[in-house]
Formats: sequence, structure tokens, C-alpha cells
Amino acid sequence: MEDDPEQLDRFVEDLLADRRPERTPLENDDALEARRVAAMLRAARPGATLPSREFGDRLQQAIADAVRARGIPAKEMLPSRRSLLLTGAGSMAAGILAVLGVERLTQRPAPQPWQPAIIPPHRGSWQTLMALADLPDSTPVRFTHGPLEGYVIRRGSTIRALSALCTHMPCVLNWSTLRTRFECPCHGATFAESGTAIGTYGDGTLPPLPPIKVRIQQDQIEIFSV
Amino acid sequence: MPEEVTEGDPSPDRRRILALRRPSAAGRVDPEHLIWAYQSHVTAIYQYLYSRVGNRADAEDLTSAVFMKAIGSMRSDVSTAELRAWLYRVAQTTLADHWREFYAEATRELEDDIQREGQAPENHEAVGRVETLLSTLPENYRRVLELRFLRGYSIRETARELGLSESNVKVLQFRALNRAGRDRKGTN
Repeated sequence: MEDDPEQLDRFVEDLLADRRPERTPLENDDALEARRVAAMLRAARPGATLPSREFGDRLQQAIADAVRARGIPAKEMLPSRRSLLLTGAGSMAAGILAVLGVERLTQRPAPQPWQPAIIPPHRGSWQTLMALADLPDSTPVRFTHGPLEGYVIRRGSTIRALSALCTHMPCVLNWSTLRTRFECPCHGATFAESGTAIGTYGDGTLPPLPPIKVRIQQDQIEIFSV
Repeated sequence: MPEEVTEGDPSPDRRRILALRRPSAAGRVDPEHLIWAYQSHVTAIYQYLYSRVGNRADAEDLTSAVFMKAIGSMRSDVSTAELRAWLYRVAQTTLADHWREFYAEATRELEDDIQREGQAPENHEAVGRVETLLSTLPENYRRVLELRFLRGYSIRETARELGLSESNVKVLQFRALNRAGRDRKGTN
């Protein structure tokens, strides 16, 4: 059936109302692409991308049931827990941090109070990061300095720096200019520009992003690093 | 080191996974760890699918399907990175099947996804794709899509905002989505 504005709008209305769109057979690739773009745009709207708690819980249980039901053939052997975790750390900042983060995650039910692992460094010195003039207002700028992965943020005359590592597992956060928040590419946690976690995650609220010490010296931004 | 066990002729995907298997495996399989490894990817796979189908019901069904297929077809002696790669691969084929319900000849999945297989597709790239896409559109196209999708305006509200009739808004939206779809296809 030839695509037309009314038919496409019905698909859009379904998406906007978060209804499952009707499966209307399409005539050509353009009609499909228009719908794929619509879906992509709909998903870019704030606050829509995390699975609901109910769904998450149900699927976690289904996964556990399915793995146990399938059983594990005796001949199949797994790398040790530690090496498995380390090989999985490709997108993470540091293997050792991954292990720490994962251990914390798997300790249920009582979550441990979170302690910053590296930040701030106990022994360090003030080191130049960038010229103040190069830092735009209100847009967090990513930096890597020694062991620190961070964002430096300017609000008028105020400068702050935050760790760029998600406090769930240490993946490096992205800053979304569209939604003005930090977003974790690994599991979807989000943080406000202040570093505070947005909403709940898993069994509770994630700890805030730890601050990194920062100061301005002679029009240069300096951070406390090693 | 464990022997390779294959029954019959493995599918291409399964052969791939077998080939990926690291030879240094040692120690007992821990089912609880395997469960954890799958579970820790639920949100990421859901987001991957949601950002492509744009509604919760389909995203939930597809996410469940991906995990059940993956668990049923995968060995347990793979690294977390291999498991993740496999989950994304299953997600791609599941998504292609989904779009075939709309258009029987739909076969193409995003090539950037396939090239980056083994890495988690990152959020900022999804967000960046939307931002880039909007920025390349003519002003009136960009505006109608922003109002409708990012701000959630109804057709009537959009019409009022843009000073157009409601049917003109639908036509503008139609042209904007078709143009954006062609642009996106062109860049992949």
C-alpha cells in the first residue's frame, strides 16, 4: 500500500503514545526508513530509554531460570572469574576497577557505602589542565589526566571537575548536549551536571560522581592529580 | 584444555563463537556467574533495541527474545566480551526480523553496528546520530520533528506553533521523516 502522511502519522502517534505500532505492510524501503527514523527520534526523547523495573526483574528471573534449565555441559570450562572479568573490561577504564565494581554489584542484598577508589589521589600536585579561555560555559569538557578520567565544567565564574566514571561500573560517561546530562553507555545510568545520579537504578540510587579538585591559576585551569 | 564439542554442522554464527573461544580456559564453570554475565547486559540490550524501535512494548518483547535465543544457542565457556558480542549479534538479527513484519524485503541493519560488533554501541553515538541527523535537515523539517518527537507536541499544537493547518503539519512531518530516512540510509 502506498505510503501517505496520514498512515505515517498513525505510526508516529502510536510511538508518541508509547503504543506498539500497527504492523501495516509497507510498499517500499523509503516508507520503512521513515518509520525507523521516527522510532530513533522517539527514543531520543528524555527519560524513555531505561527498562521498567517490572520488566527488568521479570527478565532477570527468566534469564536465571533459562541458564539453570539449560545446565552447563561438564566439558565446557570457563576462565577463572577474575580473568573473565578482566577480558570483559574492554570498554571500561581499568580492569582492576572493573573487578572492584563488579564485586560490589554482585554483593546482594546490602549495598556497601561507596568509597571513591582513586579520586582524589592522596598524593598529588596541582597540574595545568587547559586555559580557562578554552573552556566554554555550561558545556562539560572531557579530559584524561594521568589516572583521572574527568569532566571540567564552567558555570560563569565557577569551575568544577567531576570524575567521568559511572559509579555503577566504571564505564566512561558521555555528556548529552541534547538532554544535558551524563549518560552511561554500558548500562544506562544517568547523572545530572552536578554529578548527582538521576532517578533510581537497580536496588537504589547510585552514588554521585566524585569531585576532582580544581582551581584557577593565572587564567589556567589546574587539577590536583598525580 | 577442554575438547571442542560440536554436534552436526554448526550454524555460521555458532561456528564464529566457537572460533572465538579463548584457549586459556581453566577452572569450573560457575552458572551463577554466567547468569550474572547475561543479566548485566539487560539494560544495554534493551536500550540498543529501544533506540531502534522507539516503543516500550516492542523493545521488551525483542529484548526477551534476544536473551532467550542467546542462552539457547551459546556455549557457556566464553568471555564476557564474547558474550556481549554474541548478544548484539542476536539483537541485530532479531531486529531485522522485526522490521520484516512491516516490510518483507527489509534486510539491512545498520552497518556501523556490524562493524563495531563486539563493542557496546555507545549511547552518545545514538544521541549524536539524532543530533547530526536533525542538524542536516532544512529548518522547517527540523522544527516539525523537534516539536513532535523531542517535545511531544500533538499535531494540533504543532500546527499552532508553526502557523500551519493540521493536514499541512502531517505533510511536513511526512516529508521530513522521508528525507531524514533517505539521509540516514545514505550515510550508512
